[in-house]
Amino acid sequence: MADHEAKAHHHDHPEDPQAHATRRAVLQAAIGVGAGAAVLSTLWVGAGLVPRVEKVPSKEPVAVGDTLVFAMGAKADQEITLDDLRAAQGAALPFIIAFPKSPENVIKKDLRNNTLMVILADPARMSPETRQHASPEGVLAYSAICKHLGCTVSQWINNNWVCPCHGGVYDIHNQARVLAGPVPAPVPQLPVRVEGGRVVVAGEFLGEPGADV
Amino acid sequence: MYQWLDDRLSIGRLYAKAFRKAFPVHHSFFLGEITLFSFITLVLTGIFLTLNYEPSIRPVAGPLSDGKEVPAAYYSILYIDSLPFGAVLRSLHHWAAHIMIAAAFLHMLRIHLTGAYKNPRELNWMIGVFLLVFSILAAFTGYALPYDNYAFTATKIGYEIGAAAPWVGRLMSDILFAGELSLTNTQTIPRLYSIHVLWLPLALMGLIGAHLAIMIKQKHTQPRYAEKVAPGKIVGVPLFPQQAVMMGVLFLIYLAVATFIAGAFIAHPVQAFGPPTVATPAVKPDWYFMWIFGILQMIPATWRFEFLGATFGPQFWGGILVPTLIILGALAIPFLDYAKDKRRYLELPSQHPFRTSFVIGMLMFYLMTTLAGYKVDLQLTIGTLWMLVLAVPFLTGLAAYIILKAVYGKEWNQEAEGKQIGKGSAADD
Repeated sequence: MADHEAKAHHHDHPEDPQAHATRRAVLQAAIGVGAGAAVLSTLWVGAGLVPRVEKVPSKEPVAVGDTLVFAMGAKADQEITLDDLRAAQGAALPFIIAFPKSPENVIKKDLRNNTLMVILADPARMSPETRQHASPEGVLAYSAICKHLGCTVSQWINNNWVCPCHGGVYDIHNQARVLAGPVPAPVPQLPVRVEGGRVVVAGEFLGEPGADV
Repeated sequence: MYQWLDDRLSIGRLYAKAFRKAFPVHHSFFLGEITLFSFITLVLTGIFLTLNYEPSIRPVAGPLSDGKEVPAAYYSILYIDSLPFGAVLRSLHHWAAHIMIAAAFLHMLRIHLTGAYKNPRELNWMIGVFLLVFSILAAFTGYALPYDNYAFTATKIGYEIGAAAPWVGRLMSDILFAGELSLTNTQTIPRLYSIHVLWLPLALMGLIGAHLAIMIKQKHTQPRYAEKVAPGKIVGVPLFPQQAVMMGVLFLIYLAVATFIAGAFIAHPVQAFGPPTVATPAVKPDWYFMWIFGILQMIPATWRFEFLGATFGPQFWGGILVPTLIILGALAIPFLDYAKDKRRYLELPSQHPFRTSFVIGMLMFYLMTTLAGYKVDLQLTIGTLWMLVLAVPFLTGLAAYIILKAVYGKEWNQEAEGKQIGKGSAADD
């Protein structure tokens, strides 16, 4: 049908085949440019789907001089004291999940890699490197974000620190050496000291915190 | 009235042309229909849920949370559960998703075992594979929406597995989840909500439409007996009324059973987990993810290397590579087991021993990797699991082949002879 019309049309208006070819080339170029512009503008709009990274004080990484506060529970946002850690020692969960609080009193809870674990352990059982970055009283801190898939390492089973998601087990006395599970690396230790009963950050993370992917 | 409509819409012609279309009947053909019914149920119950759900994590407090501040999404689940039949409809949505994935998987097994993916149905097989993948993605994006601690943790693991894809993984996960999952990321829930209630259902609808249109255009495969009864013809019942009645009855039975399950087993009680906190609860994925979870537990942490700035670690091998290879393998099946001539009839699993044994072996692989998901509970070692996952599927497949040969071996020779004479579509495995 369309073929017939095209032929009839051709007979009625004999045209220069060259002009036909030019017209076709122009139309094809126009379609190409139009399609390209449509794809580009879609990508431009689509780029808005990539989340923006906002700089706010509560997203700053943990820094020397920060104090540690309870991340959750009845005492959430309160500073963790040596007494709190002593009280936890006998409990089912002997450690405390903590966030750093800056000297300007901003709790830096909006950066996930700031999730920490702090525990009072026996310095005699610690490896020399671990002891070096713990307080003399035996206060130890680690990043609590599992190196495997980023869960919070929040269980205590058979005297071991265990990630509930895929069963990673860390040795808290030995720089969080991996004892079991699919975990690719130890979570980094955070040097701490005790000042006026409060736990204070004494150095940078000894490694990269966060899931290792 | 009928005359008036018929004058304008030619109902009589439509009836004669379309509604009298013959549909072959076999009880295994209903698996695809159950998948479709589940999808319809999911859309309808999903519409009910959207009318009452608030896709936001802004803190709200009310009588349902005893005056405590909880995220709005979490609160709206409490609200939905408090509506008349609200908890049942929400549970129906949950269980229908499980039934849909299970039925789609069994439907796929039926197609595989009877060789129905062969020429000319390769395209529909591939669409089917994508339908299964998209259904699972839709189920996953629905996980997070109740926004309790369990849902939050499960979704966080999904984020990190996505991020484990080399080079583009982090960007991909960031786009899908609107950034790293955290208790204060307000954009994640709206993003997942949009994907779950809009984009994936649209994609599924499009693919289901294509799947059905191609099935009607190519005609359904027929059981083997049809070849003897009326060679070259379609043996079946007309779409209307017989097929339509069967479908209607099946739909009602499906709805009755699914609603019974939903009423008896309330899905995912959010109060049991509470709103998300910093601490992670012990999570176990649903059965259709358990095998990936199992593989993740089997891969030693030392299996990692860096290449051109990307890390290839356990998360990549277990969470990305193995599922991708299985999906690509599934897509390749109609081309690996290719038929030159067009097929109309189903093949008997007993006459295709290699394929049948392979499918049984793959099922064992699925079961063994699922078992690996219980590594910690059963106190299994990585070595035991590797032995189970590698040896059991192979040995089961081998045993299946030997049994098939012992029982049906004689018929294979007859089939082969029949092929030489030029009758029937015989084994070509």
